[in-house]
Amino acid sequence: MRKLAAVLAFLAVCSPAAAQDLVSGVSQDQIQITSNYTGSDIVVFGAIEQKGADQDRDVVVVLRGPETQIVVRRRDRVAGVWINHDAARLNGMPSYYYLASTRPLAAVAPAPVLAGEGIGLQNLAPRDVTSHHDFRPFWQAALRKMRAEGFYNETAGGVEFLSGSLFRAHVPVPASVARGQYNVEVYLFRKGEVQSAQSTPLFIDQTGLERRLFNFAHTSPLGYGLAAVLMAVLMGWLSSLMFRRPL
Amino acid sequence: MEIYLPIAEISVHWLVLLGLGAGVGFLSGLFGVGGGFLLTPLLVFYGIPSAIAVATTLSHITASSISGALAQWRRKAVDFTMAAVMSAGGLVGTLVGVWLFSIMRQQGQMDLVVGLSYVVLLGIVGGIMLNESIATLRARMGADVKRARPVNHVWIHGLPFKMRFRQSRLYISVIPPVVIGFVVGALSAIIGIGGGFIIIPSMIYLLRMPTNMVVGTSLVQIIAITAFTTILQATSNYTVDIVLAAILVAGGVVGAQFGVRVGAKLRGEQLRLLMALLVLAVALRLAWGLVVTPQDVYSIAFGS
Repeated sequence: MRKLAAVLAFLAVCSPAAAQDLVSGVSQDQIQITSNYTGSDIVVFGAIEQKGADQDRDVVVVLRGPETQIVVRRRDRVAGVWINHDAARLNGMPSYYYLASTRPLAAVAPAPVLAGEGIGLQNLAPRDVTSHHDFRPFWQAALRKMRAEGFYNETAGGVEFLSGSLFRAHVPVPASVARGQYNVEVYLFRKGEVQSAQSTPLFIDQTGLERRLFNFAHTSPLGYGLAAVLMAVLMGWLSSLMFRRPL
Repeated sequence: MEIYLPIAEISVHWLVLLGLGAGVGFLSGLFGVGGGFLLTPLLVFYGIPSAIAVATTLSHITASSISGALAQWRRKAVDFTMAAVMSAGGLVGTLVGVWLFSIMRQQGQMDLVVGLSYVVLLGIVGGIMLNESIATLRARMGADVKRARPVNHVWIHGLPFKMRFRQSRLYISVIPPVVIGFVVGALSAIIGIGGGFIIIPSMIYLLRMPTNMVVGTSLVQIIAITAFTTILQATSNYTVDIVLAAILVAGGVVGAQFGVRVGAKLRGEQLRLLMALLVLAVALRLAWGLVVTPQDVYSIAFGS
């Protein structure tokens, strides 16, 4: 928070001189997932150039996770039992998408503008789809599910103006997110048009023991498997030594 | 207290998992079973992906079987020849099982196969146990109940490749133990059980092993199978979470010791009745999950 205050002060001093009409920053450029990581917030902040009594300006902040393939399956009842029947594979979907805006998206810009920029949950279209059926119900289900599990989110009012030109947004990064390169995108809208946009990378990675174990499991799986067995055998043996005498 | 699991890639409350491991360990010590059939579904109910639950539960079974096996070994109640023959079949079974496991995962049918297998297996085993323990209790109360005598399986003695099992004083074909080992090995890879509740009745009723040899021998065979399956799952599916395994094992080995001591004080028939009810309850809960109309027919998973 102190760092943020310092940067905000710096921005307040600099912004009259800045030629850009949007300056933004992120409280950190990487997040390390450790064993006690239970999710955190990043703070996206910035300043816009004020133009008189500027009422029709909006800021949209997006945190977009690395692309992934979402496999959507639909269950059907077969002989009384619900089984996964049809499936669609949606390629190139973000693994995480958090959008914060000053006002509801519908008020920020008309739908075609948002679609053109790929802003908003309804504009998260897959790059390509493997499916034998119409993929749209599967895609809508994916959006709904991702939202329910906290991977996709749209928060109107998530960006707040601290003064006429300074804004700030808290963006949550839950514990279950994918690792990789994220992008923090900041858009400045004026009168329903994108006036300015900025993108900053954010790296999320496992660190410490978690990272080493994950690498161990994937680079030398045989050794990892043997270690798991050895651990089980040793703990079983130790417990039988410890409890040899009756309690 | 939350802890991040590096392979499952989720945060979990480690105390809950420790308690789960201890609870299942207690029951496994109490009833003399591995407990995989309880732990795997419980982990799935808790939110661990079923592929990881299936593969990681095996470590818990390995650990809780070790102390039992050591105790039986000291009493010379292990037929190592029989365990080796069954394990040979078991190793082939786990290879086939792990291969089927990866296919089912790709097809998205993991949950269905795990669910259906559990319902069928637990339903049958629980039903038989309930039937037997009720019959025993009624006999104790003086009712006239005919004791079912184990049938003499003549066909087993007609099979080729006979071998002498000295400790069990048996001279039988290796085919039945190899086949039993194979089936249990495949099941342990696909649904994450040690298979004690299949091996023990098979040893008594099919192979006609002396009862004092059965428990020790099955434990040794279970250790071999679960250890091998853990290594196979780690190398081919990357589904063993060692942090999860450590928590479950730590709870399990301690819980099991207490279970054994409590079990020694309870009467056998009551134990068997309790066990039967527990098994049937798990089966019913899983069956309900398969037939009840889901709140949402869609589900998502992340591909690569």
